Amino acid sequence: MMINEEASVVVSHLPEGSLAVPHPILPEEPTIKIRPASASVLSNLREVWTHRELLYFLIWRDLKVRYKQTILGAAWVILQPLLMALVFAVFIGKLARVTSDGVPYAVFAYAGLLPWLFFSNSVASGSHSLVANNYVVTKVYFPRLILPIAVVGVRLVDFLVAFSVLVCLMFYYGMHVTWSVFMFPVFIMQIVLLALGIGVWFAALNAGYRDVGAVLPVALQLWMFISPIIYPASTVPPNWRLLYAFNPVSGIVEGVRASLFGLPFNWTSIAISAVITLATLIYFVHYFCRKQDSLIDVL
Amino acid sequence: MRPIIEVRNLSKRYCFDNRVLANRNLREVFVKALKSPVERFYGRKPAPETEFWALRNISFEVEPGEVLGIIGRNGAGKSTLLKILSRIVKPTMGEVDMYGRPGSLLEIGTGFHPDLTGRENVFLNGTIIGMKQGEIKNKFDEIVAFAGVEQFLDVPIKYYSSGMYLRLAFAVAAHLKPDILILDEVMAVGDAEFQKKCQAKMKEISGEGRTVIFVSHDLMSVMKLCGRVLLIEAGQLLDVGEAEGVISNYLQNLSGATAN
Repeated sequence: MMINEEASVVVSHLPEGSLAVPHPILPEEPTIKIRPASASVLSNLREVWTHRELLYFLIWRDLKVRYKQTILGAAWVILQPLLMALVFAVFIGKLARVTSDGVPYAVFAYAGLLPWLFFSNSVASGSHSLVANNYVVTKVYFPRLILPIAVVGVRLVDFLVAFSVLVCLMFYYGMHVTWSVFMFPVFIMQIVLLALGIGVWFAALNAGYRDVGAVLPVALQLWMFISPIIYPASTVPPNWRLLYAFNPVSGIVEGVRASLFGLPFNWTSIAISAVITLATLIYFVHYFCRKQDSLIDVL
Repeated sequence: MRPIIEVRNLSKRYCFDNRVLANRNLREVFVKALKSPVERFYGRKPAPETEFWALRNISFEVEPGEVLGIIGRNGAGKSTLLKILSRIVKPTMGEVDMYGRPGSLLEIGTGFHPDLTGRENVFLNGTIIGMKQGEIKNKFDEIVAFAGVEQFLDVPIKYYSSGMYLRLAFAVAAHLKPDILILDEVMAVGDAEFQKKCQAKMKEISGEGRTVIFVSHDLMSVMKLCGRVLLIEAGQLLDVGEAEGVISNYLQNLSGATAN
C-alpha cells in the first residue's frame, strides 16, 4: 500500500461569491491500493516510517500511564535490577562464591541484568502488544509492526534510566572505563534488534495461540540461566563455549561487560551473536508481515 | 469525472476451523496434528472448514465530492466493507484503488486512555486516527471549544461524564479532514442535540468537497445527507442509485419480509 501525503483537495480559482464547490485534483496513480496479497516487508517498514509520530505517541502513552498509575513510577525501573543484583550478590557472589572476572560481583551482576531485563521485558510485553491493543487494531489502520516496536521503545527508556545507576555504581567502586567503552552502544543496538526480532515474533504467536503468553515467562526464566547474567561466560568449559555462543544473548552480554569494564572481547561469540541477531530479526519481521492480516481476523 | 474510489469484485471470506478460530490454543494444534494422520489412516476425512462469505463480488465507484450511503440489515456485510476500505481487514479477492488520503472513523474515541487527561487524549486519539501533530496543535483550541470541556482539560478522562467523553471524542473525530472520510454509525450515539451537531458537521465536511462513505441504520439521515446509496444484502450488492429510490426499495423489501 502506498500513501501520498501530498494528495489533497484544492479549491479551484473561481470568482469570489460564486457557489464554488471545491474541485479535487486527483492524482494519476492510486494513492492507496488494497489487494488480497500481503504487503511486502519493505512497504511495511516504509509505513512505519510515515507513522513515526504515532510510534512516538504510543511510547509516550505507555510511559505516561505507567508513571501515573504507580506511586514509585520511575523508581521501579531502577529497583527491579537493583534488588535482583543485591540478592544475587549475596547468594551467588558471597555464599556460592561465583567468580566475576575481577569486577565487584554486584556491579558485574547489575551490568548483566540491565541488558537482560531490557530484553526479557521487551519480549514479554511485546508478546501482549497486539492482543492488548486489539480494540485499536480492529478500529483503525496503522502498520501493526508499530505496536511491538513501541514496546521496545518504552523498555529502552527504562534501560537508560536504570543505566544511570550503573554509572553511579562504577563510580562508587572506583572503576575506570577504557577505549572499549565506545563499543558499548554497538551492543545496545544489537540487543535492541534482538528484542525487536523476538518480540515481533511473540506478538504474532500470542495473537494466534493465546497460551504462548503463559509459556513465555517460563521460557524467559530458563533463557536467563543459559545466558551469562549471574555468572561469567568464562566458567563455561572451553569445549562447550562454541555451543554456548549460539545463544545470541550471551555474546551481547559478554560484549556489554567487556566494553564497560575494559575486559578482552570474545570476538567469536560476538560475531556468532551478531549473525544470529540479524537473521532472527529479518526472519521474524518477515513472519509478522506475512501473518498479520490473518491475525486481525481472529483478534 | 474520474472516480476517487474504485472497488472491483471485492469478496471477503471468514473461515471457522481449528486453525483460525479465536481463542485457539497450542494444545488444539498438537491434538489436531496427531489426529490427522490417524484419521487419514482410517479413511476419515478431517472436519470440513466452515466458511462464511461476508462479502461477495462487490463492485462500485465513488465520484469525488460524493456522499455515499451504505444501508442494509444487520450482518449484511456493511461493516466488513468499511473495514476493508479502511485497510483494517484484507479482502480475500478483488481490489480497491483510492485516489486520495483516506481517514476512517469506525468508532469515536479510539485509543482514549482513562488515566490520561483530556488534553493528552486529544493528541493520542488524533494521532491514532491519522492526524499530524502540527495539525492537532493548530486545531486544538477549536477541538476543545467544540467539545466544551475547557475547564476539564487537565483532568483524567476517567472522571469525565459519559456526555463529556462523547463530546471530546467526537470533537477530535470531526476535525479529521481527509480526502475520503469513511464513517460507521458515528452518529448513533448521544442525545438529539448531539446528533444534530454531528449532522451539521457532516454537512460541513461534504460541503468542503470531501468524499464521504457513510454507513447507517438511520434512514432519515442517510436520505438527508447522501446523494447515492448502496444497498447490501447477505454480502451482495443488491441496489445502487439515488438515495430516495434505493431506500424506498429497501423499505418495501423489509415490510414484504415481515409480512411473509
